[in-house]
Amino acid sequence: MGEKDFIELIDTHQGLIHKVCIMYENDPDVRNDLFQEIVFQLWKSCKTFRGEAKITTWMYRIALNTAISGFRKQSRNVKTEDLKELHYNISDHWVDEREEELQRLQSAIRQLSEIERAMIMMALEEISYEEIAETIGITQNNVRVRMNRIREKLKKMMSQ
Amino acid sequence: MKSIWKSSEPSFQPKDPGEIAAMLSRNSLSIVDKLKRNVWIDMIITLITSVGLLIYAMTLPSGATKWTYVAILSTLLLYVFYYIKKIALLRRFDPVANDVRTHVEGLISTLSGYLEFYRRSYTVLYPVFFFVVLMLIGIDQGASSLFHSLQQPVNIISLVLLAVCYYYLSTKVVRWFLNRLYGRHLEKLKNLLTDIHG
Repeated sequence: MGEKDFIELIDTHQGLIHKVCIMYENDPDVRNDLFQEIVFQLWKSCKTFRGEAKITTWMYRIALNTAISGFRKQSRNVKTEDLKELHYNISDHWVDEREEELQRLQSAIRQLSEIERAMIMMALEEISYEEIAETIGITQNNVRVRMNRIREKLKKMMSQ
Repeated sequence: MKSIWKSSEPSFQPKDPGEIAAMLSRNSLSIVDKLKRNVWIDMIITLITSVGLLIYAMTLPSGATKWTYVAILSTLLLYVFYYIKKIALLRRFDPVANDVRTHVEGLISTLSGYLEFYRRSYTVLYPVFFFVVLMLIGIDQGASSLFHSLQQPVNIISLVLLAVCYYYLSTKVVRWFLNRLYGRHLEKLKNLLTDIHG
């Protein structure tokens, strides 16, 4: 894949990267660094991509690996916002009810563990259990069991 | 939940192709890449200092000062091998193309191996430093004077105590330093692996 094709690919699927960044970082500056790091890692890995998996599955795998374990924040003083506070701040600005619901869902997802976050995000993007299992490196059965637990947790959190 | 998720795109500013292109040429912020860069910088500084010392030592007449420089130069060259080994350890890690579990396992193994090598090296290097300093004192005072003073029991005990204290404190400092720099990250990775195994 040449540079031009790669930029086109990122341009088309940048929503996926933004969603991963939003789920894993609260601070907008750190989020921007994470976005750049994911793009950089995708660029580094695209030479070895042989098309065995769907392009979005491959992108998720690299984006999640980078966000979860490969990325180290710059040593600037990162302000970690309290999730509830974040939710209220957002609610003040987002008047639309539907968007507020989305923010509530995102806030609830952010309270899950990093692996659970990755799993629910892929499930919401309608990625199959088989692909989720492949991306995380666990069995499909394990995905099924854990997804049930995650859904229960989210329902509880959202009903509070 | 799916309908809520799909109902609206998250609030993000789309990046234009120019911005994306600029991201491809920047430095990686990944922990392994950062470590690699730091080791390369250390190695280049060591090599430049070594060449400078070598050139200067060549201009000196044969004597104590010249041997002092040669001893420092030998220690620096030892460091070059140490940096090469560090880079080789970090290169074993093949980044993000694997699944998350394999990636986390690889990262834990690479970082643990790297830190272990760091600790072990200093276990060897600190005694080397100690003997280099002792040798330099010997050169400065004259070997016979040093051997003479080392024959006195009080001096032997003092030297042994100094060596033990130096070794204990230096290894303690290295452990504290490594734990402060990478301990939390390693801990986080281990917790992640536990979470993956569910």
